[in-house]
Amino acid sequence: MMNTLLAAGPFWMPSAADLQRLGPLWSLAGTIVAVLLTALLVGRNHRVAGGVATLGGVFTAALCWKTFSSGSEPFAGMAPDGAAPMLVVDQFSSFFIFLISVFLVLVTGMWFMGLDAGDPDESARRRDAVEFFVLFVGSAFGMALMVSTSNLLMIILAVESASLPSYGLAGFRKKNRLAAEASLKYILFGAVTSAISVYGASLLYGQFHTLDLMKISAAIGEHGISVLSGVGLFAFLVGVAFKVSAVPFHFWCPDVFEGASIEVTTWLSVASKAAGLGLMLRIMWVLSCTVQSADAMRWVAHAVGIMAAITCTVGNFSAFRQTNLKRLLAFSSIAHAGYMLMAVSIIWQPRESAAGMPHPAYSAIIAYMIVYLLMNLAAFGIVAMVYWSTGRETMDAFKGLGWRNPLLGAVMATCLFSLVGLPPLGGFITKWYLLIALYDASLIWLILVAVFNTLLSLYYYARIVYAMYFVQSDEAPIRAPAMGQFAVLACAVAILLSGTVYAGRLKSFSDARSRDIYGGMKPTGLRVTESTVHLTNSH
Amino acid sequence: MEHILTWLIFLPLIGAAAVLIAPSSMARGIAWLTTFITFVVSCMLFGPFLPGSEYWATHAYGQNMQFVHQTPWIHVGNFHINWHVGLDGLSFPLIILTTLITWLSAWASWNFDHWTNNKGPKGFFALFLLLETGVLGTFAAVDFFLFYIFWEVMLLPMYFLIGVWGGHRKEYAAIKFFLYTLAGSVLMLVALIAMYFASGTAMGNPGNSTFNLIDYAINPAIHDYFNNPTTKFLGWNFGNAMFVMLFIGFMIKVPLFPTHTWLPDAHVEAPTPISMILAGVLLKLGAYGFLRVCYPIFPEAGKWAAYAVATLGVINIVYGAFCCLAQTDFKRLVAYSSISHMGYVVLGIAIMTDTGFQGAMFQILAHGVSSPMCFFLVGVIYDRAHHRDINRFGGLWLAMPTYGSLATLGFFASLGLPALCGFIGEIWVLLGTFNAGYEWAKPMAVIAAFGAVLTAAYILWMIQRVYLGKKQEQYADFPDVSAREIAILMPMAALAIFMGVLPQYTFDLMNGTLGDIIKVIHGS
Repeated sequence: MMNTLLAAGPFWMPSAADLQRLGPLWSLAGTIVAVLLTALLVGRNHRVAGGVATLGGVFTAALCWKTFSSGSEPFAGMAPDGAAPMLVVDQFSSFFIFLISVFLVLVTGMWFMGLDAGDPDESARRRDAVEFFVLFVGSAFGMALMVSTSNLLMIILAVESASLPSYGLAGFRKKNRLAAEASLKYILFGAVTSAISVYGASLLYGQFHTLDLMKISAAIGEHGISVLSGVGLFAFLVGVAFKVSAVPFHFWCPDVFEGASIEVTTWLSVASKAAGLGLMLRIMWVLSCTVQSADAMRWVAHAVGIMAAITCTVGNFSAFRQTNLKRLLAFSSIAHAGYMLMAVSIIWQPRESAAGMPHPAYSAIIAYMIVYLLMNLAAFGIVAMVYWSTGRETMDAFKGLGWRNPLLGAVMATCLFSLVGLPPLGGFITKWYLLIALYDASLIWLILVAVFNTLLSLYYYARIVYAMYFVQSDEAPIRAPAMGQFAVLACAVAILLSGTVYAGRLKSFSDARSRDIYGGMKPTGLRVTESTVHLTNSH
Repeated sequence: MEHILTWLIFLPLIGAAAVLIAPSSMARGIAWLTTFITFVVSCMLFGPFLPGSEYWATHAYGQNMQFVHQTPWIHVGNFHINWHVGLDGLSFPLIILTTLITWLSAWASWNFDHWTNNKGPKGFFALFLLLETGVLGTFAAVDFFLFYIFWEVMLLPMYFLIGVWGGHRKEYAAIKFFLYTLAGSVLMLVALIAMYFASGTAMGNPGNSTFNLIDYAINPAIHDYFNNPTTKFLGWNFGNAMFVMLFIGFMIKVPLFPTHTWLPDAHVEAPTPISMILAGVLLKLGAYGFLRVCYPIFPEAGKWAAYAVATLGVINIVYGAFCCLAQTDFKRLVAYSSISHMGYVVLGIAIMTDTGFQGAMFQILAHGVSSPMCFFLVGVIYDRAHHRDINRFGGLWLAMPTYGSLATLGFFASLGLPALCGFIGEIWVLLGTFNAGYEWAKPMAVIAAFGAVLTAAYILWMIQRVYLGKKQEQYADFPDVSAREIAILMPMAALAIFMGVLPQYTFDLMNGTLGDIIKVIHGS
């Protein structure tokens, strides 16, 4: 009865098979509901809330891992016939959801550790745990959506559903003036940029009469980029640039990182950027998926390249004078977003498909993201442990850390040198893959910008090392939770291994994740038509 | 035994792990033992090592690599990086020098507990051993990527060793050293990437790109493409651009004027054993880079730059010597004398002849023996007097007779007295320069010879102020060199005499390979 009604009426239902493909998204969405429901059932218990979030994250990650091995074809669907597909699932999106959900679990672990290690806001955190985790998983869900769509409308929805919980998270320390200021700045910036973004999307829609980037790409390929569509496209990208904290849309970043509690900062520094970069990459890729549109998109890509160069230079220069570690790492994360954006700027270039090689930019960013996650997790984890122990996040809290807690000092030094990009650490090898991709795309000037920035960044990272090792301090040893020490040590070992023994495996894993991307391989001289893309609902 | 070179490279790393695990009171013992075993293992290579002369007639450059261990490391797509190490006449003597000097430095660190800055012995000795792995790896690497990795691996331990355990301006010296060296290595990184892709282009297929330093030099397709004036990099002549980038990277390490200023600071602030390694081994890496990477691969650029490089070399010789004359800090004087001596190496390399290369290489080894000795001699007196002001010393020979004699020997070796090691290298370089086929070569040889006079001046003047003269009250009760100090000085003293009297044995090790490189350069 119900079925016939649906079939006959204007309603549309996705098929069960399509729904199944979206397992990771369901799992994240379900986790939000589960956190709320368990709160109703068992009362406000921070352990239950955190536990449910952890389970949800683990389950999501496991679902994504499954798609890695099955090597599924790209899927674009979740819309009635003829309409623009709403969601995309491919190896690439699975990877980013995997990264986000693993990070969700890790940051949750960090949150728990903070409770036992004497975080100053401990009681408030216990009390508001349910709300915290709803917002937390909610932003993860939004980020997961961001990397799984190529639909204008869905992109805006995804960015908003990632941003709105993040605003809440940034201001979650309600009594803290800095947090309130951070949250307000974040909201204002987010509101303005998303307004611009929506405006751009409306221009694009008005011009091309479709929400589907694939179709827009075909139209761009045919007619070139007009002034109107160019303005629309740039305005649209502003919203994404805000998430990536690309200069000049980065001003929120240091304030939010400083004001928010340390877990939130850690979370935003990796997950928000990962999602933004994933989205940016997909937009640029899909828009340049035919040879003609790739040609038209080259100017947009050049603009992204220039923005990347400015982003990492500004990020590095601004980090010079910071004394608050969270702020310093915020600028460092801006700089690293710049490095990764460099790879976005070469995504338009058609690659040889004969050898079956995926586009090097994809695997460069994926490898970078993996090591970046490890570096930031460990660095912020140590900042957190020092904060829990001393109540300070400034440089002077780090004085003599190498002697007050040798393990934390050594791990921090490893992370910082990896952030600089020194061999034999993972930060070098991923930067190497990035530079190789840039050279392959003949962007030597960007390589020079990148290596110059490496040199710049050494100075302020070395300042922390200087404080940790070269400065005498009579302060008490740092007491840190054993689990936390173990976790950051594991990160450091992983950073070291990813730069040495597993450097090849890191690359082949990243290569595998960048195969079969929605939008297709782009053989030189061949035009990719939509029929080469597997659309399950177009029968 | 098959992978003995790989074992040799990682032996110190195993020792470093042991240092970290064991209690800190055992750290220095483990470090001493590790470096000693490494030295013994490296000496075991003497047996099977066939010096270049035996290969001279039949083998070209790169084909007389021995103890080769090659295995894939990163093989993804068309991306091939190998673990590829091997030794030839160029790297073999330097490996021996490294293991010897590192062992002696470990011994020189024996009184670690009595240093003014003696915290964290575990960290010190672990980093010390890590440094040795980095140096050995750099000398042994045949794959350019591997070379680069090891090159950078040396950077961090050195930064900490100077920055944590150094003198009162250690932070400044450490960060200066770090920034200078990193600036050089990022240029090297750009060259590394460009050369990798260019080699693929030369071979006609990106899949054939290589990092093999030997292939770069002797594979005709790659060699021609690299040295072809029509090959461009950002609109520049490819060979010249690469040569300049690599050259800057290496010249910072040598160090060559005007990038030398980090060296006196680093030396003065570094603890004695670290100074020994820095002068004895690390500076040699820059010169080794010239001989391994710059010249065989880009000979045309080498000829193009010969005048500029030779000029820099001569400036180093003379300017370094004048700086020495002006120093009052004993250690600073020895540091500037290193700069002056490395000038001969650069001059010998720049003229690209057999004699020049042989002289340069001999000077590398000779300076590798004499300068650690000088630094240790300075360290001995600093341990007792706790200052290094040359003008406040005097009559030390009378107070410490054994020390005085050994010191005179060490400084005379550095001075280039005939029958000691320093003489052979310098005279070979001067002869080579005088005979070289450039019209500017003879004047340069004359100026460089004048530098030798200056060298004699500052060393003799220093000896006069420090060791000769009346016995002074405050130094009268200084104990003479201890057995440990004699044991450290003896191998270097013996080598200084041996290399000076019987240079043939040292030349035999390397001449074959150097001749092969010359053949590659001049295309015969």
